[in-house]
Amino acid sequence: MSGGVAELGHQAQAPLLRARGLGRRYDDFVALTNLGVEIGAGELVALVGPNGAGKTTFLTLAAGLLEPTSGAVEIDGAAAGSIPARRALSYIPDAPVFYEDVSLGEHLGYVAALHGVEEPEPRIAFLLERLGLDEWADALPGEFSRGMRQKASIALGLVRPFSLLLADEPLDGLDPPSREVFFELLAEARAAGAAVVVSTHRPDVIAAASRCVGIREGRLVYDGPPDPAAIEEFFEYTVADRPEP
Amino acid sequence: MRAGAEAALVEFRRTRRRRYVEELDVMEILYRVYVGAIFAAIALGVLAGALHEAPASAAALDSIRVHAPPIFGIAVALGVLAGLRSGAHGGPLAIEPAEVQYTLLAPLDRSFALRPKALSQLRIAAIAGAVTGAVVGNFVFRRFPGSPVEWIAGLALFGALVPVAVLGAAMLASGRRLRPLLAGGAGVALVLWSVADLALGSTTSPTTMLGELATLPLQHGARIVLAGVGAVLALALVGAGLLRVGGILLEAARRRAALAAELRFTASVGDLRTVILLRRQLASERPRRRPWLRIGAGAGRPVWRRGWQSFMRWPLVRIARVLVLALAAGAVAVAAWKASIVLFVVPGVLLFVAALDLIEPLAQESDHPTRFELLPADTARLFRRHLAAPTAALVAVVLLAAAAAAAIAGDPLALGIGLVLAFPLGLVLACCAGFSATNDPFRFAGMTPGVGYGVAAAPLLVAAVAVGLPLLAARALWLHGSSPFTATISLGLILLGVAWVAALFLGELVAKRTAVQA
Repeated sequence: MSGGVAELGHQAQAPLLRARGLGRRYDDFVALTNLGVEIGAGELVALVGPNGAGKTTFLTLAAGLLEPTSGAVEIDGAAAGSIPARRALSYIPDAPVFYEDVSLGEHLGYVAALHGVEEPEPRIAFLLERLGLDEWADALPGEFSRGMRQKASIALGLVRPFSLLLADEPLDGLDPPSREVFFELLAEARAAGAAVVVSTHRPDVIAAASRCVGIREGRLVYDGPPDPAAIEEFFEYTVADRPEP
Repeated sequence: MRAGAEAALVEFRRTRRRRYVEELDVMEILYRVYVGAIFAAIALGVLAGALHEAPASAAALDSIRVHAPPIFGIAVALGVLAGLRSGAHGGPLAIEPAEVQYTLLAPLDRSFALRPKALSQLRIAAIAGAVTGAVVGNFVFRRFPGSPVEWIAGLALFGALVPVAVLGAAMLASGRRLRPLLAGGAGVALVLWSVADLALGSTTSPTTMLGELATLPLQHGARIVLAGVGAVLALALVGAGLLRVGGILLEAARRRAALAAELRFTASVGDLRTVILLRRQLASERPRRRPWLRIGAGAGRPVWRRGWQSFMRWPLVRIARVLVLALAAGAVAVAAWKASIVLFVVPGVLLFVAALDLIEPLAQESDHPTRFELLPADTARLFRRHLAAPTAALVAVVLLAAAAAAAIAGDPLALGIGLVLAFPLGLVLACCAGFSATNDPFRFAGMTPGVGYGVAAAPLLVAAVAVGLPLLAARALWLHGSSPFTATISLGLILLGVAWVAALFLGELVAKRTAVQA
């Protein structure tokens, strides 16, 4: 195993993510209710919705970081949070976290080793070079700017094998060239058979997606083609950023 | 693959530990520990010798032999209850956020990943408990039959097992994902079982059995066996907790990870107020939406009313905590009166902790300075008025402690002393908690952190002395056949004067700081 994507023996017929009747409450607040969705191999799904709609709750439920109050999520046929699901799923959180006493290169080596990558160096070098972090491999996270922390978090999500990638607003703080590289890396992952779900407010992500799933007030309200104009109208809010020319 | 992941985890942690140790000045630390240990040993020896405590009477020994184990058992059961509640909210482990994100989301056994952290926490708690137990044993053996080694070793073992059992209960509740209601119910049942033991003079509850260990040199026959059973059960609880530690809810672990990092920082700078607020968040301790009683507009002046509106929204757990602290203060005062006067330090500490909860209305004002700065009122006077409601509540708490002491000792003398001291102590404790809640820990952080820690600890020390000294004086007079009330009345008046000046100073201090900031 050399790292990278979709080397986990996924069966093409079964969906990589299947949520059925998924719900989550925080005391009296209903964050997600009766959500059902299936995502198959090779898809790039833009997960959209206003602030507080339930996007992050959905992603963290799928990642196994939250427990549902109703329903269930399966990752490649296994219950979310189980060892097979953790092996199949890579999650890039909205707020990057790091060990403050460990360099970026050591982070990447550790995550790759945890996921059984035997010779991670080529993959680590590739990701560092593509994301413009090759000068920073020995730097500690405390030295990073916000954008660099985001890029480092993306590298950590991509350094290990996966068949499903969940990314929560991964483009926040990234400059245009880095965003472009991110899209290229996602395309590579999809070409290798992985599914990708990106939570976003950005039209450029929606435009690049193969499918758009919309959530509002915890309910699935849209599941269809990624038409930014239709999405904008549907959600009744103005998308501030336009795609880079 | 799992073996590979586990090997990667072990290697990663080894590297981090090695790097951490390399950055430490080991010789400097060893030297400090060595010097600290020598000074502590000398201080303990001198203090224990200076106290000149007379051997306990036969009647006192009989009472302690029968009643002490269930009382210790109740205290341990309360600790286990706190542990179970903490576990139901994801405690006791505080895991780094990155550890949750990378290690616990990796395809490996979470028990394997978390057990070293759990063992480290248990080790630290056991050592701290054993040292505390040994120190107490150093004082106790002078009053009771039995060799110093028996007392010091027995209490060190008891001191080590109690925090270990509490942590074990927390790990078990967390690993089995017990709901707070169920965990709290199990803990309350254990407390009631120990209370029943105290009422019936029996030893059936596991925590009462552990309590037998604290008085081991006084016990014989079956009670020694029961103490052994208590120790084994405590260890079994820890074993069960360690086995299930991997079942932790990641959402609770993530929440605790962020809060615990903040908690460590605020504790390191001596910011007691923020420590309290973060601890409440960790325990999910939130004010009630519906107050226990609605305080209407006619209920006195606005600041007084605001104080009681705050108390009326207290969650049940906070009310229970303050009641337990009051009862414990009364029980420890009796133990100090009858067993060892060193324990007179403890009631003040317990009541100070209760006061930190009761000072909440004043602390809230201090937390939000813009609110009172915008009021057309004198800041100093406003803060002094905020002492009124906490003082009234603390008077009730002191009276409750005195009533508990009278009930446990079977002597109304304690209630009489409580009645004399209730108001002065209520005001002193409110002032101490007020200083603590309004203390700015960063005033000294840059230049003289030692002074900062001293200032943060001062209210606690004042509270301990203010409560302990009148009790000590009353006991001395009582032992010589005089009325203890002469000492308590004069010391109560002195305390009242000191508290009055402190209240004036507290208001001026806050007003001056606000003016400087402006």
